[in-house]
Formats: sequence, structure tokens, C-alpha cells
Amino acid sequence: MRRQAEGAAEAMKVVKQEDIKLDGSFAEEIAKLSGENVFLCYQCRKCASGCPSRMFMDSTPTELMRYAQLGMVDEAMKKNTIWYCVSCQTCSTRCPQDIDIAHVIDTMRIIGQQKKIKAENNKLPLFNRLWMTMIMYMGRAYEAGLVAALNLFSGKPTKDMVLGMKMMKKGKLKLWPSFKKPFATMKMFSRAKKLKK
Amino acid sequence: MKLAYYPGCSLHSSSVEYDISTRKVCAALGIDLVEVKDWICCGSSPAHQYDDLMSVALPAKNLAMVPQTDDLKQVCAPCASCYSRLKFAQQRLKDDNLKKEVETVIDLKYPDDIEVLHMLDVVTEKTGIEIIKEKVVKNLAGLKVACYYGCLMTRPPKVTGKKQFENPTQMDSLVEALGAEVVDWNKKTFCCGAAFALTKTDVVLELTKKILTDAESSGANAISVGCPLCHANLDGRQTQINSKFKTNFHIPIFFFTELMGLALGIEAKELGIFKHLTDAEKFLNERALV
Repeated sequence: MRRQAEGAAEAMKVVKQEDIKLDGSFAEEIAKLSGENVFLCYQCRKCASGCPSRMFMDSTPTELMRYAQLGMVDEAMKKNTIWYCVSCQTCSTRCPQDIDIAHVIDTMRIIGQQKKIKAENNKLPLFNRLWMTMIMYMGRAYEAGLVAALNLFSGKPTKDMVLGMKMMKKGKLKLWPSFKKPFATMKMFSRAKKLKK
Repeated sequence: MKLAYYPGCSLHSSSVEYDISTRKVCAALGIDLVEVKDWICCGSSPAHQYDDLMSVALPAKNLAMVPQTDDLKQVCAPCASCYSRLKFAQQRLKDDNLKKEVETVIDLKYPDDIEVLHMLDVVTEKTGIEIIKEKVVKNLAGLKVACYYGCLMTRPPKVTGKKQFENPTQMDSLVEALGAEVVDWNKKTFCCGAAFALTKTDVVLELTKKILTDAESSGANAISVGCPLCHANLDGRQTQINSKFKTNFHIPIFFFTELMGLALGIEAKELGIFKHLTDAEKFLNERALV
């Protein structure tokens, strides 16, 4: 009897208060960039229930909010969760605490891209970079070029080729880009860059 | 009625039929569309997840390029993504500090008195369904339409100002007025995967399959949309879905402007309907609408 009780006491580790450390810097960074307060989340799971993309995610949006609250940066940023958000705004619309969850995820993506934190099998940063570069130099998106560049850089040059051919036949893909005052948008991007410094 | 018109990149290439049918329908309804001169991309899918400042500055620049005359205080965007980005920018630019920064970036004065409308708002609210009903010359009998709104036309309501965002009915009343039957279904505002079409195609195929399945099992024989991305996924990916999931979908997907055009007596060819990848010609032929 006595030996058993001793064993139980040993297994039940007493945690001292100074051992519990929560790192709020991740939540603060999100708040600073987006104005969203992740600490308002009380884990009701409405966001996870409505998320059309959750079947593809490593963790649900609800869990993601908890990771942000607890400062668990790796769990939040290195898993595929944030990169599978389809930006459909369902979570932001339904959150009873009025957290714009899609905006929080966008902000995490921006942090991830700036700090070059890589997630597995993820073409989105490349897609974003290509499209934004296109806007900078051409003013408008150039779909055929975007598809070709994306497939080429991600090592799948023949992806969607049949679909592309069909679209071209129907006159739905322009072969050549249209340039709309490219110097104006280039200047815009450089003024934004200066401002950020 | 005179409106500034912001077509957006998709309407100049992959969804050119949406642009064509919008212009034809507006001409028939007496709506004068003035295209914003030298408009640029609104930042669409990438900007908001890549560069926060540019995601506001790009739409703001387009709004600032709307001619500053008293009769042009409304700008309409047929693309749900453009509409959403313009609306989001307006919302964010209520913050004076951000407005100052954005004005520096775009080097123009940002006008805060412009109303941004989706094309569906223009025809249902500004023109009015009753007036459209009077102009119908060809009833769309035989069409059982599932009206698909997708995400960004209604969500988030804080930005779009829409009162019905879980079960919108705007397009349903419009399509009904054109003489078609409207079906009740579940996936009205479910996401099709939109921006993942190129980067995570598996997601798009899975989500789009769910939408097509629900529409079909609810008795629809056609789907009506108001977004070029929804159209590209639902119309263009049906062959890929059929081969991946061993299904047999062949549901024609129409822009609501195309359905309006048909009902107003404009020829299908003139509306660009034959540009669809899921053939709609046979479908319309069988119902004597061509």
C-alpha cells in the first residue's frame, strides 16, 4: 500500500509556477500586423465545423487559434494548415468572438513568407511571388504566363496542358500579355517599399 | 443609368464570355457602362496573403482612377474577387493612417464617396427584377437552375453589407423572373476552391465535385454563377472530376448575365455561351433556346 502511494506521488509531477511560461510574442506580432486579437478565441469550433478545406489540413482552424495563443509557432507555421485556407471567409463570418480568422491566417502566411519558413509541398509562395511580379511589371495578371511559369518552376511543365489547349481553342486564354502603363505600377511598388522602410 | 465598369483580368481572358454577356445585357437594359481607363489588377488572390499594404493600395488605385464626375459615383465589378477586394479596401481605408500611406503609394487622392456594386446588385437592386421581367421575350422554360453564389459575393457580411449571407436569394429571384425553375439546394455558398485551381488542384476537384453532386441530386440541370473563378472551376474541371472520381457530370454552367441575355432575346452565340468548356449548345438546342 505504502509503496503504491509513493509511486503515485512520484508520477504526479508538481509543476512550479515559474516553470509555466507562455510566449505571447507570436500573438502580439499577429495583432500588430493585422489588428486581430487571437486571445478572444474560446475554442467553440464554429470555424472548424464550417471550414470546407479542413479535411486537407493537419490541424483545424480552432487548433490553429490555440497554437497562436500558446505561442506554438512551429505547430502553427510548419504544418500545412495555414497553406490550405481557401480564403472563403466562412470562419470570419461565423466567429462569435468576431475574430477575422482568415485575416489571421493571411497574416501568418505573410510572416511565413517573410521569414522563409517552409511548409511541405507548398506552391503558394511561388504563386504569390509570380503573380505580384506580373502586376508590378505589367499592371495586370497574365494567365497563360502565370500557369506556364508556375508549372515550370514547380517541375510539372505538362500539368493542365489539355485544359489549357481547350481554353486557347475557345479564345479563353490570351497568348500575349497586355501591358498597362507598367512604369506607373513599378513606381507604386517602389514607393510602397520605401514606405515600409 | 451610368456606371463605372471595372472588368478585371479574368474577364479579359479566361472568362471573356462574362464580359461579353455583361455588356450586351447592360446595353439592353439601358445601363451605360464606362470602363475605368487603364485599370490595373486588384491584387486578387495573392496580394492579401503576400503584401498587406499592396492588397489595399491596388484596389484603392482603381477606385481613384474612376472619373471624378457627379454622375459616376458607382463602380460595378462583375468578378466576385474584384468586388471583394474593392470592398475590403474601402473598409480598411476608413483608417486615416492607412489612408495616408495608401495615398502616398498610389500618388492619387483616394475618393471615399464611391459605391462598389457587384453586377448582380446592379441588375437586381438598381434596375429591379420587375423591370427585367417586363423585358423578357423568351421564357427559359425547361431550365432547372441551381443558383451558386460562392464565397465572396456575400461574405464577409461586415464587408459586403449583405443581409442574407448564409442563404442568399438575389440570384434565385432573378433567374425565376426569367422563366426558369429554381431548385432548393445546400451548396449555394460553399467554396469551390477558387484560388487553388493552379496550386492545389486536388482541393478544387474535391470541393467542386461536392457542389456538382449536390446540384444534381437536388434536381438541377444547370448552374448559374456570378464569379469567373467559380465558372472556371465548375465548367472547366468537369472532365478531370469525371475521370478522377468515376462520375458522369455534364452540367452546363452559365453566368447569370448569359441567362438574362437569352431571356432578353439575345442570340446565344452573341453572348459567348459557346465558349464554355462543358458544352451548353446541345443543352440549349434541346430546349429550343438557340
